[in-house]
Amino acid sequence: MVDVLLPREGTLWSWTIQGFLPKNPPYAGKETPLTFVPYGVGYVQLAGTDGGDGVIVESRLTENDAAKLTIGMALELTLIPFTTDDAGHEVVTFAFAPVRGAS
Amino acid sequence: MSDVAIIGIGMHAFGRHDLSGLEQGAVAVRRALADAHLEWKDVQFAFGGSSAAGNADTMVSALGLTGLPFINVANGCATGGSSLMSAHNALKAGAADVVMAIGFDKHPRGAFDPNPADFGLGKWYGDTGLMLTTQFFGMKIQRYMHDHGITPSTLAKVAVKAFKNGSKNDMAWRRKPMSEDEVLNATMLSNPLTQYMFCSPGEGGVALVLCRGDIAHRYSDTPVFLKSATLRSRPYGSFEVFNPWLSPQRGEAPTVAAAKAAFEQAGVGPDEIDVAQIQDTESGAEVMHMAETGLCEHGAQEDMIQFGETDIDGRLPINTDGGCLANGEPVGASGLRQVYENVVQLRGQGGDRQVPNNPKTAFTHVYGAPGISACTILAV
Repeated sequence: MVDVLLPREGTLWSWTIQGFLPKNPPYAGKETPLTFVPYGVGYVQLAGTDGGDGVIVESRLTENDAAKLTIGMALELTLIPFTTDDAGHEVVTFAFAPVRGAS
Repeated sequence: MSDVAIIGIGMHAFGRHDLSGLEQGAVAVRRALADAHLEWKDVQFAFGGSSAAGNADTMVSALGLTGLPFINVANGCATGGSSLMSAHNALKAGAADVVMAIGFDKHPRGAFDPNPADFGLGKWYGDTGLMLTTQFFGMKIQRYMHDHGITPSTLAKVAVKAFKNGSKNDMAWRRKPMSEDEVLNATMLSNPLTQYMFCSPGEGGVALVLCRGDIAHRYSDTPVFLKSATLRSRPYGSFEVFNPWLSPQRGEAPTVAAAKAAFEQAGVGPDEIDVAQIQDTESGAEVMHMAETGLCEHGAQEDMIQFGETDIDGRLPINTDGGCLANGEPVGASGLRQVYENVVQLRGQGGDRQVPNNPKTAFTHVYGAPGISACTILAV
């Protein structure tokens, strides 16, 4: 086994938008059906070490508007808050966001 | 090696009921035995299971303590298919002459809420809102539509067909026909799939009585022969539910191998199938599985569905009992429901939903987490 550092940028391989509040557990978000905001989820194609297609990773997306998501669009890694823990601290997770300036 | 025959079929209606899952399973067993003109004491081996409604072998306390060997099967969405394959193998091996395959279930309302650890995943996967089967189905069909030119209208037409067929099936849960606009304009659960494009977890029971093919005519005037029953787990590179990552080398779905083996074992080609029941967890699954099973080429589904070729009176009728969309998915019973429906069709007992022109060869296919598929081919 060899560790490989994955690139922070990739392209959208497929996507959906989570339209309803997931059951808790397993979901740790603290929204209610009234406060829940649908979130994007996608598979992101990363480049391989040889420059060809590498691993495809699943991730939340910062974009939740279907009209703004297109297979093949350029994305970059970011962190987003998604809940608070029992002590009230913000909990973040990884997500992919559209690359600014790219179309 | 002799064939295997199905000589009795029984079902407890799908939907929501007061009876426990086990009780619904026992109802199905009694109906299957009555259909075969047999009694429980005549059964020499049983295989059965549920995903959420208890141990199948518990039902001997209701059916009779005959001491028969009874193996509980737990294999996710392929539980019914696995029971049937085990029954098929037991008969082929000469372990018994008369065997039953039994499936039942009873799930809570709403989407499944699986535990990440049961699937080898870290807690983070559930915490962050990725542990939903519905997302996988949304993303698999999203990519498929992009690659093969399938339209939202076609996804809706699959659901319209399911509810239309379900309206002709008194064992189905959802029997109210719906228009394409109603399906398309319903709440979007996981883009591109709306509420009515998804099946719901539900309840129900199915039981089959099988025997050695060479003695089938002792029990039934209308035996249906089980030509093959296959099961495959996922190969490298397939795209499955609950995958945090996909490998750079893309591969085929487990359905491809399970269906290929079923056709080979039966000595039948996909072009010889007169009626098919295939896994329609959601509309897109039916579309994709049509091609993965080999029943059509990738991309051909768009025209086939738009022109009604998969309707009951079409060239290749699919999910004639309304499928999972109209029946719901009691996981342990779902695969056996498909076989039940094909027996009904091959016997010519379909009533308002009978496939015309005396179908002779029928195909079933289930798919489920974490990447398993089971197929059968029946013939008369």
